[in-house]
Amino acid sequence: MVISPVHYIAVPLLAAFLMPLLAKIHRELTRIVPGLVILYLGYVSVVLMNQVMAHGTIVEVIAGWNAPWGINLVYSPFTGFLASMMTAMAFVIWLYSYRFKKVDSQPALKYFILFMMLVTGTIGIVLTGDIFNFFVFLEITAISSYSLTAFYRDRDGAEAAFKYLLIGSFASAFILIAILLLYTQVGTLNMAQIAVRMHDVPTHMKITILILFLVGLGIEAEMFPLNGWAPDAYSQAPSPVGVTFAALVVKAGVYGLIRIIFTLFDVHGAYEYLIVMGAITLVMAELAAIRQKSLKRMLAYSSIGQMGVVMIAFGIGTNEAVFGAIFLMFNHAVIKGLLFMSGSYLVYNTPNKEIQYLSGYGMKMPLISLFFSLGALAIVGLPPFAGFWSKLYILIAAADNQMIGLIALILGVSIVEIVYYFRVVGRLYFGKPSKGSIMQKPTYGGVIAMSLLAIVILVVGFYPDVITPYIHNAADALLDKAQYIHSVLPNADLSQIQNLK
Amino acid sequence: MDTIDYYQIMSIGVYGSAIGLILIGLYAVLMKKHLTKIVIGLSIIDAGINLLFIAIGYISNGTAPIYSSQGIDLVKTGTPMVDPVPQALVLTAIVIGFGVTAVALSLVIRLYRHHNTARIDQIKSLKW
Repeated sequence: MVISPVHYIAVPLLAAFLMPLLAKIHRELTRIVPGLVILYLGYVSVVLMNQVMAHGTIVEVIAGWNAPWGINLVYSPFTGFLASMMTAMAFVIWLYSYRFKKVDSQPALKYFILFMMLVTGTIGIVLTGDIFNFFVFLEITAISSYSLTAFYRDRDGAEAAFKYLLIGSFASAFILIAILLLYTQVGTLNMAQIAVRMHDVPTHMKITILILFLVGLGIEAEMFPLNGWAPDAYSQAPSPVGVTFAALVVKAGVYGLIRIIFTLFDVHGAYEYLIVMGAITLVMAELAAIRQKSLKRMLAYSSIGQMGVVMIAFGIGTNEAVFGAIFLMFNHAVIKGLLFMSGSYLVYNTPNKEIQYLSGYGMKMPLISLFFSLGALAIVGLPPFAGFWSKLYILIAAADNQMIGLIALILGVSIVEIVYYFRVVGRLYFGKPSKGSIMQKPTYGGVIAMSLLAIVILVVGFYPDVITPYIHNAADALLDKAQYIHSVLPNADLSQIQNLK
Repeated sequence: MDTIDYYQIMSIGVYGSAIGLILIGLYAVLMKKHLTKIVIGLSIIDAGINLLFIAIGYISNGTAPIYSSQGIDLVKTGTPMVDPVPQALVLTAIVIGFGVTAVALSLVIRLYRHHNTARIDQIKSLKW
């Protein structure tokens, strides 16, 4: 069988719909099959990434309709890197949720079906080369996210999910109108052809469409005024789902923003807009995080803040800054994954998941506390952990562009970050242990998952060279718009294409 | 003007009603306090956008975009076909809208059972 990018979408989608039948054969199959599917996707990632690094972008035409008529999947070093990262994180999340909590046979079936749909949707968003197909995958992701947020009946999940759904429906309405206006202007839905024809669209129209897209995608990417759903969804959803939001859903949203600004549009000022919105997002989120009493809400706000830094770095737009941004996306997925996984065991039995009850847990749950502390050290960017390198590259890129204010901002906010993370870590190790708290023993799958993430943080921290070649290629692929268009439409006229940065 | 341009009137009507639907939906979502009414508002917004999609694909006196002998004859005699792409998109958008509405209504039921009310101003476990 030939390995192709379409397996990323077809296999998990097929598995999701076969799961009810498999559950009839044997109950345990509902838990095992998702793991096998994700392992297969991991194999696909390895094969395709080697192919892409050697021969360049792979374009998969679906159902024999060539671009620009049919739907195509673009597996470039950038999209491939993101898809592989999502697959790896999906595997870790599967390990973590294998025996998580009270998932007995029936909910486990529902949980894993929705999880497979979520994986399909997020990877689909990243790989597709068609703007309407992009919208469809966004909706697949959104609908499974709503359902997973409301997974537990005994929490306020339904309320968080309804809030998320309300905001998400606005997002999809905005994106639909944007696609509609775009179609009236360029008469095509293929992203590469839109990029070619964008030159002839009047500027006021371009800006209208761009703003509609930015509002719609800003909601998924947790951009500042549009991220009201995130803290509630993160805190009410089951913990593995919180990890999925941080590692997959938000990454897909940011990818959408970046693809639309970098490839589709050539509007001056969009990059500055990203910097300003990123900075506001960063400051507001970190200031909110320091006031949180609940650990999960704190982690959610911290996650929003990190996305702000990613947006700033993409907004700077030089090769080095984009490199730093993609590196930070990777680091954030891994580190925030570890923080959510360990943090949710720490607050497992505390009322309202509040931080103040965590005193002295460092001695009672040594392994989990160690994982949490490692994550906290890594995410604030202390050497020699993974988070240090991405922050360093972003700061160097800002310095090269004489953006001293941004450097001051990022470093100043880092202090806030250190304060609220070390408030928790300090309480874990130096707080007075309270009596009567019940410890939750983590599952074996959970321990393996957290160990894997901790190993990745340490390995990338000490030897960043294991991952940097892939990220360098990803940054080059994202910035080279002409190459993207050429690989999809070999005969396109590239004379009008200019890279703004 | 001796003849009335029906196409002009119709297109104003269609675009106007599409935008009207979107505005009515927005009003319902933002101003109504009952969860079911909010969900209905979301559906109305969807309907308005779908109508807008169909409207932009329409060509004056166009024929259905079906590849048949009759259709080809019509095109040869100078009747244009309407754009099939927006129609395909609307079909997808309707299905997606259906899915979202179904999830939303199930959440409303869950909320009603949990809080014994379906009014949004009485459900305050989380910050809104």
